Amino acid sequence: MIQISENIKNRLSTLVIPIVLLLVWQIVTSGGYVSSHFLPSPGTLFHYTVKLFVEQGFLLHILVSLKRVLFGFLIGSVTGFLFGLLMGLSKTAEKILAPTFHVIRQVPIIGWIPLIVMWCGMTELPRIIIISIAAFYPITLNTFSGVRSVSKEYIELGAVYGYKRLKFIRKIVLPAAFPSILTGISLSVGMSWAMLMAAELFIETFDGIGTRIQLGREKFNMPLVITGIITVGFLGLAMTLTAEKIAKVLDRGRAIRKES
Amino acid sequence: MSIEKGTLEIKALSKSFIVDGNPLQILNNINIVFPAGAFISIVGSSGCGKTTLLRIMLGLETQYEGDALIDGEKIVGPGLNRGIVFQDHRLLPWLTVGENVAFGLEKLKRKEKKLIVDEHLKLVGLSGFVSAYPSQLSGGMAQRVAIARALASKPEILLMDEPLGALDALTRMYMQKELERIWLFEKISMIMVTHDVEEAIYLSDKVVIMSSRPGIIKKIIDVPLPRPRDRASSAFMQIKAEILKEFHLETEYPFAYAI
Repeated sequence: MIQISENIKNRLSTLVIPIVLLLVWQIVTSGGYVSSHFLPSPGTLFHYTVKLFVEQGFLLHILVSLKRVLFGFLIGSVTGFLFGLLMGLSKTAEKILAPTFHVIRQVPIIGWIPLIVMWCGMTELPRIIIISIAAFYPITLNTFSGVRSVSKEYIELGAVYGYKRLKFIRKIVLPAAFPSILTGISLSVGMSWAMLMAAELFIETFDGIGTRIQLGREKFNMPLVITGIITVGFLGLAMTLTAEKIAKVLDRGRAIRKES
Repeated sequence: MSIEKGTLEIKALSKSFIVDGNPLQILNNINIVFPAGAFISIVGSSGCGKTTLLRIMLGLETQYEGDALIDGEKIVGPGLNRGIVFQDHRLLPWLTVGENVAFGLEKLKRKEKKLIVDEHLKLVGLSGFVSAYPSQLSGGMAQRVAIARALASKPEILLMDEPLGALDALTRMYMQKELERIWLFEKISMIMVTHDVEEAIYLSDKVVIMSSRPGIIKKIIDVPLPRPRDRASSAFMQIKAEILKEFHLETEYPFAYAI
């Protein structure tokens, strides 16, 4: 009984701030303290959002954005993983690649947008490239450090049992580096999502959540802007939670250790 | 002349490490034969090179002068004819107990693997733990799984580097009995590095005493006691005193305690 009420208490405590915010929002809008142009009331916004989804195909824009993130993330994380693995496994590869990698990494991702647009035009390609770059860095760095921190003891064990190359990588290096790689993946998910917004706002197009928000600004459509931002927030949260959940399931042995 | 399988020979072996640019001699002219089927312990204070000697026998260290031979052939690297139990159990935390035991059995079919895993978990008394994770085991249990893993690939020689060093005193004594039982059952050569003199006498046919800087073999003492051995017997005590004397640790009035 005590445990259940403890659980409910925990859940309620996470809702305290949202409820307070909602109340304040209701009070300042219905009391006329702010103009409805700048902040529509929660009720108005809710009606608008429903209309947006039902009549104006907002869901399609969400799907377009999700597709961009998915492609960018997949390209960036797969290449980043391989790149990090290569630098982690080979000191020679690290010596050759790492200095250039770290110099290039100093350029903020948004800084690449003009160059990539000039090369590729205002097409879908530069948006995906920008998201890939965002996904690439965290997973490269975390895979690299994960591979490098595989303990000497495990490496020795592999040597004792005659594990070579691929088998050694598959059976010892990757499982040992796995938690670090997972951290890289969840960071990459977050970065991809953040850079999606930059890609959609700076490389103009007609679809995607970012362009809807931009459209809302141009038309001074405050409900559209706010709905867009809230959607982006919740989708980001959903992605992060999903990534964490998957990581927990995959990381079975260690999850048990944490519990005990 | 044919050599019985499970024989390990060290001939005129010396080994140095480079420390701060200067060579530091770790092992100096080691000569010893570990006969097939025998249980032999190597005791010595820390820094006497006993672990280095074991790593040479295992094949992890290959830079040295002299010869290390298994069944008459030079050791060029690790091989499945030698099993190893380290002081830390070194089980892979992402594999179950069963998968850990099967670590050296990659080439076998699933069915054969399962058979060998079950057989060896039974041997170490952990039959019900196939699907447990190492993190769910106590130190003694984990070390038993490590022993099962080392034996599963059917080595001729089991090398052990302070295998019970991380266990508490009572578990340790229990595990010594278990090791003896396993050795009697498997009938393979076992070579154990330890710093526990009593443990060495309890388990070994011969105790090799090493002294440090540089590591040399100081003395080899036979333990001709019947098994299972009684740690409190006077013959046991006598051998213990003889070994401790080599470390200048003998008590001056040993009988004062008996009164």
